Amino acid sequence: MGKKDEAQLSLPIVGMSCASCVSHVEKALQELPGVSNTVVNLATNKASVVYDPQQVRLVDFQRAVDNAGYAVASSELTLDVRGMTCASCVAHVEGALKELPGVLDVAVNLGLGTGHVRYVPGVVNANQMKRAVREVGYEANERNDAADSLDRERQAREEEIKRQGRNLLIAGTIGIIVMIGTFYDMLGPFKSIVPVWLSYKWVIGLLTTPLIFGPGRQFFVNSWRGLKHGVTDMNLLYATGIGAAYGIAVINTLFPNAGFGGEGATFFESAALLTAFIVLGRWLEALTRGRTSEAIRKLMKLQPKIAHVIRDGNETEIPADEVEVGDLILVRPGESIPVDGSVKDGYSAVDESMLTGESLPVEKRIGDAVIGGTFNKTGAFRFEATKVGKDTALAQIVKLVEDAQASKAPIQKLADWVAGHFILGVHLLAILVFVFWFFIGYAAFFDPNSSFILSPYALGEIGVFGFSLLLSVTVLVISCPCAVGLATPSAMMAGTGKAAEYGVLFKGAEAIENASKLNSIVFDKTGTLTKGEPSVTDVFVNTQARIGGSDELLRLAASAEKYSEHPLGEAIVRGAETQALTLNEATAFNSNPGHGIEARVENHNVLVGNRKLMAEHGVDFYSLIPHAERLEGEGKTVMFVAVDGQPGGLIAVADTLKEFSAEAIQRLHKLGLETVMITGDNRRTAEAIARQVGIDHVLAEVLPQDKAEEVKKLQARGKRVAMVGDGVNDAPALAQADVGIAIGSGTDVAKETGDVILIKDDVRDVIVTLEIARATMRKVKQNLFWAFVYNTLGIPLGAGLFYPFFSLVVSPELAGAFMAISSVSVTLNTLLLKRFRPSLRHNERQLTPNRDSGKSPLSPAVVSSK
Amino acid sequence: MEQEKFDQKVARRSALIYLPISLGAALLFLLAASVPGAYPLVAKVGGVVWVGLLSLIVSMPLVTARVKKQLRAKTSIT
Repeated sequence: MGKKDEAQLSLPIVGMSCASCVSHVEKALQELPGVSNTVVNLATNKASVVYDPQQVRLVDFQRAVDNAGYAVASSELTLDVRGMTCASCVAHVEGALKELPGVLDVAVNLGLGTGHVRYVPGVVNANQMKRAVREVGYEANERNDAADSLDRERQAREEEIKRQGRNLLIAGTIGIIVMIGTFYDMLGPFKSIVPVWLSYKWVIGLLTTPLIFGPGRQFFVNSWRGLKHGVTDMNLLYATGIGAAYGIAVINTLFPNAGFGGEGATFFESAALLTAFIVLGRWLEALTRGRTSEAIRKLMKLQPKIAHVIRDGNETEIPADEVEVGDLILVRPGESIPVDGSVKDGYSAVDESMLTGESLPVEKRIGDAVIGGTFNKTGAFRFEATKVGKDTALAQIVKLVEDAQASKAPIQKLADWVAGHFILGVHLLAILVFVFWFFIGYAAFFDPNSSFILSPYALGEIGVFGFSLLLSVTVLVISCPCAVGLATPSAMMAGTGKAAEYGVLFKGAEAIENASKLNSIVFDKTGTLTKGEPSVTDVFVNTQARIGGSDELLRLAASAEKYSEHPLGEAIVRGAETQALTLNEATAFNSNPGHGIEARVENHNVLVGNRKLMAEHGVDFYSLIPHAERLEGEGKTVMFVAVDGQPGGLIAVADTLKEFSAEAIQRLHKLGLETVMITGDNRRTAEAIARQVGIDHVLAEVLPQDKAEEVKKLQARGKRVAMVGDGVNDAPALAQADVGIAIGSGTDVAKETGDVILIKDDVRDVIVTLEIARATMRKVKQNLFWAFVYNTLGIPLGAGLFYPFFSLVVSPELAGAFMAISSVSVTLNTLLLKRFRPSLRHNERQLTPNRDSGKSPLSPAVVSSK
Repeated sequence: MEQEKFDQKVARRSALIYLPISLGAALLFLLAASVPGAYPLVAKVGGVVWVGLLSLIVSMPLVTARVKKQLRAKTSIT
């Protein structure tokens, strides 16, 4: 390898702490084929690599360093990209960024107008990225925080709507006048009100010219910029179509005898109306595309502008973004909570529906957490700010939804690839169509009486070149794959936004696609299906014992356990407290680890524990055993209670189901999904719970670290698995599953692992997740279907496939109208997703928060106090 | 500045490839259309221009992207 073929790269390395790390990294890099020299510097944390770019790439370095246990430092950056109109624009921007050395990954979102870049700092910078994007014909700016970018995005969208609206006004007005002039002879009674000179070809030409060089100029400028850098986009299709129609019309007007069809084949109206229709499509797209990202805007609008802060005992009104951690804030009824915090005094009910999807107000007492952006309904309270600015739940949720919307589903990558390569394919097809009609089709099939579809305009004296060119141009215009490019991202944006309204946060478009294909849902038992803490389920009193009843037995046992730290003892105490029983102090408390406790309560010797404890103290408990075995068969843990050496009875304790677990499982079965429960509990307990909840399969006695392995086994059997569990403890299993659903995270969403985060601790939101994912993917498939149907039918029609049978051709302007309709119809179809409601608790939830609605009074069953 | 030079180099090298391709396609069309008496001169000229233009549009981005990739691979990236 000659020196001239070598390149050098300086990689920032993370995780090195000593000289051996240096040698590990050096060795890992040096072993790659094509690497001739590697020098790793511990002080600067950089690896300088000399290599042959033909043999090894940046991703290979990254992988080698990762495999050695270190990492190549990478940063992320979001660019606002303006000027993208179609999927091929996405491909160009992505291509331009990916070509830059140091760029690891790029995801460009057409709907949001953003480009998310993961890159190696020091190798490439934001300016180079912006320049690369500009070089292929688009505008790029670095994105700051969400609020700024949202404003800028809105501003850019409004500017685009205004610009295309202005273009449409000019193009539409001139287009109509040109059309009237062209069809002057067919105006009938209206002929008298139209001046005859309007039908002169040169007048029509003069009218069309400013239209082509005004509103139509954008297509020529943009396509030339792209071509210079080796890229093609939709603009090129328009520019070629409009340019060809206009050029031939000019020649036929100025030189009618040149042989291009003469005055009978001037295409000014084609050029004018084609431009008008394309501009109409652009304007409608600009209008409708912004609406698919309304969810983010709605969330951002929740951010209150002011806060009433108590400083030095005085209430001061300050901007909400100036609140600092530790500030004491007063919230009155009817006000929004400015930041996250913890209630210090007062009591109220807060409407959190806008963030959690929970329709009923949540009670807030001293110590409870409040979320910024939620709405205080009934009382006044003061709280201490714990999270402000970008750390608030609202800011985290906005970021998560934004990131999800900026990501790409696998189906979208495919659609973008197809659309990106489509343009060149269409130009090739245009050559073939031209050549066919020039050499074969015209002579074989041309009929001078033939006309355009939906037009009385006969082709008449058009020559072989004019006719072939006409069909070739129509193919160019009718083939525009704008609808293909919009089909997936617009639906994904609407879907992620809709999910966020119900407290379901998808971390990426891929999660939506995967969630729509699931056929098996694995639930972690403890804390997911069950409450995660044992509670008293049964109290059995030995009728032969001299005990007043079940309350008395429970009271004595609870008094004995009052100071116990054992979870079962605590469950008994809680059980007694729930029954409002009065507990007395125990004396002579003695704990026998693994067996139970012994205490003196109200002059009685009380034993609470297992069989061994009873046996040790010579209690004749055999009459209780059949009852104990029955309860144990139900998965409950049974404790024997003896009073003064006599068997008093049994207290059964179990981890109880959450309120909606059984309903959720039933719903999942209705959706055709298999349900599996995974737990570390013994099989008998696990199966008892599974029976109560209606789970199909139980994986019992699974250690936490083996849960991921069990998920893998299910996947190996061809299942597409979702794991529902705690985002922290079940992290490996969540990561292994096709879709990891972290439940009950509250609003601290940033800490969560998993592909989907359910803000509320309600297992029914798994159904909401699946329904939204399925609805979104249904929309994606509908959009793609219609987009491809449009092209599949449009191209043969435009190419004149049916001309030999019907003697009708599609005019370029009609092709332009079809093209505009296709992309607008796809976006409108996506907007229907806004009407989607999950089947579950349909009547409880609201699409948008309605702060003035008189909601039902607080219900103890559903009021949560966090 | 370096980037500009690089782009110019790409543009020059690419043009040396895509221009002959487009001209070749146009010439091929002309030859096919030159059956004596079959097509009027204007149709032939128009066809040559249209086929040449479309061939240029097809070959230009393909060739430019490929040349850019090759040159980029040969050039030091830091």
